[in-house]
Amino acid sequence: MMPSESHRLHVLSVLFEAAAIARGFILPALVGGISAGGGEFDRIATWTVGLLSIPAILMSVARYFAFRYRLERDELIIDSGLLSRRHRVIPLARIQNIDVQQTALQRVCGVAEVRVETAGSGETEARLRVLSRACAEALRAELLAGRRAAGAAATAAGEPAAGAGMAAGAGAAAHITDSTGEPVLELARLSSRDLLIAGATASEAGLVAAAVAGVLEFLDELVMDPPIPIPDPEAILAHASGGTIMLVVAGTALALLLIGWLLSILGALVGYHGFTLELTASELRKRYGLLTRREGVVPLERVQAVRVEESWIRRPFGLAALKIETAGGGPQERQRGGAEAFVPLARATDVPRLVGAVLRGVDYDALRFRPAHPRAQRRALVRYAAVLGAAGIGLAVVLEPWWLPLLPVLPAAWLMARLYYRNLGHALAPGFVATRAGLFNRITWVVPDRRIQTVHLTSSPFQRRHGLANVVVDTAAGGGLREAAVMDIAQGDALALLDELAGRAAPRRGQDPSRAGGSPAAHLLRGAGGP
Amino acid sequence: MQPPDEGMPEGAHPHALHAPAAPPASAPDNSELQPLDPRVVKAWRATWLIVAALFGFAALATLALPDPSPVLAACALAVALLCLAAAALHPRARYRSWGYRLRDAALLVRRGVLWRTISIVPHARIQYVDTRRGPLERALGLATVVVYTAGTRGAAVRIPGLDAAHAEALRDRLAALVGADDAV
Repeated sequence: MMPSESHRLHVLSVLFEAAAIARGFILPALVGGISAGGGEFDRIATWTVGLLSIPAILMSVARYFAFRYRLERDELIIDSGLLSRRHRVIPLARIQNIDVQQTALQRVCGVAEVRVETAGSGETEARLRVLSRACAEALRAELLAGRRAAGAAATAAGEPAAGAGMAAGAGAAAHITDSTGEPVLELARLSSRDLLIAGATASEAGLVAAAVAGVLEFLDELVMDPPIPIPDPEAILAHASGGTIMLVVAGTALALLLIGWLLSILGALVGYHGFTLELTASELRKRYGLLTRREGVVPLERVQAVRVEESWIRRPFGLAALKIETAGGGPQERQRGGAEAFVPLARATDVPRLVGAVLRGVDYDALRFRPAHPRAQRRALVRYAAVLGAAGIGLAVVLEPWWLPLLPVLPAAWLMARLYYRNLGHALAPGFVATRAGLFNRITWVVPDRRIQTVHLTSSPFQRRHGLANVVVDTAAGGGLREAAVMDIAQGDALALLDELAGRAAPRRGQDPSRAGGSPAAHLLRGAGGP
Repeated sequence: MQPPDEGMPEGAHPHALHAPAAPPASAPDNSELQPLDPRVVKAWRATWLIVAALFGFAALATLALPDPSPVLAACALAVALLCLAAAALHPRARYRSWGYRLRDAALLVRRGVLWRTISIVPHARIQYVDTRRGPLERALGLATVVVYTAGTRGAAVRIPGLDAAHAEALRDRLAALVGADDAV
């Protein structure tokens, strides 16, 4: 490919574009026709599909001719659009990550889709569907080279020496060299056995949700459409009270759990088949997938934070999952609820090596987590007792010995509060801050100081009664409920931490970040007078 | 929301050292923080009064219906009265809770009556700065400054109720501080 020369997509783009357009309305039409139950409706559905697929094909052909992309010195320029023309310029220095993806069909055809993400919006900024495999790889190489060249000038000052992470992990795997002669270090490779374990221990929340939904559906059917012709649903409950109904509900839940579990294992085996993660001097590359093959490249300097997720199922086995937070957001992972999975399954003993390789300079093992204030546990106890108590009262209405569900509320709440409290903590290391929280799933954030965007101290009226506050470390990553937060520490500590982190986020030249002359924020909480 | 009966009385705990000092009755130590323009209290009060008026009108309207519902009217009236009470108490407390300061490396904003927040935005992380003026603010000669970062939770930090000229000056000062390193 020559720079500054316009390119079209691969001719087969028409096919995949048409398929994508068609999927939007043909499938619903088909499903609607089938579920409407044959005969007249079937014919109408078939005609609709036939008629609508013609404009879909025409549209994709037109889009193919309207779409052009070219690489100019340090910009990717894309012209697209049929009626309203769009001219999009993406500076290569702004690229957050690049994904090359092939569905099974695309692999047969020898084409691939390229997606480029910047921090700009929630969507994928550039989506090239599809290029020939060779073209896609060449484009990616050019984009990365251009990005490196453009980024080198801008970030040369603050960047730690490249290659430090390579040295840290060099003992574990041999160096390989890729096609461009760049040294590549294999960080992780997951065997089918690993994936089996990953799938078997994954998404327990999803499993529980599926089981609960199934049970609700079952109960709904029981009430709406009783299997035995008894007129009054209340009579069923009275008739088969306690024992039988509980047994049926439990059996259904168990069966659904089992199905969900098997699906989860299958999903991991297919989705993450052949997972490898490689580290070059400036990038992380991962490849995985049995049917749809995915190759993602994340520039190391784009990593906003690393999250270590230890679920209650995995922790006893010494297993964890690692996620990378970038401002771009992984296009395909977003559907699975968030951050870019970096290693779906890692041994706990491997976590320090992996974290250290991605965030150079972090010694994960040496992080000393400071616990939250002891009153955090009491706050949690009251919170959980309230939630469990409400649930218990709800159950008490249904169950026969009405006091039964109320018995375990306090001990369970106490255990949960204890667990929650033990998981809370934060650690300050030179150049990094780490926070840890979670009830059943312990999530540890490691955020480089340079990635801190803003710092917030929050305190609710309940927290102030105990003299507690939270400190939230905001980065360009995360969003939604995912954020690095130091929960329930003493107000004085929180104010000191707020100042410390703000100083770390924006160190002033020639001055010690820890400010002299006391904490300037110290009086602020007191100052806010109530009515 | 958490239940109000949470925890033990103050000082019962060995860590009572960490308990907050009782809010000083006189002269909160606000010397370092800039307050908002006092006119913003009027704007907030007006907002509450408008809501109260809407609910009051709704109460009257339900009574005027062909099939009047006294319960509904009473509920609407109660909400209207609550809004009136809020109009009397809340804007002052809210005004006292707000404060900001431009430090040499960061902007500090404090807000919140019950759920209090202190936000620190390092100058280097500011992406861009806006001033905004709603109809109420325009009528009172006020403006809101909004500071945007690349963050998620703190992506937009607002300072409402500033004198319009002052807001523009603050915006220009902040805009001049926008850093090259946005850490994205």
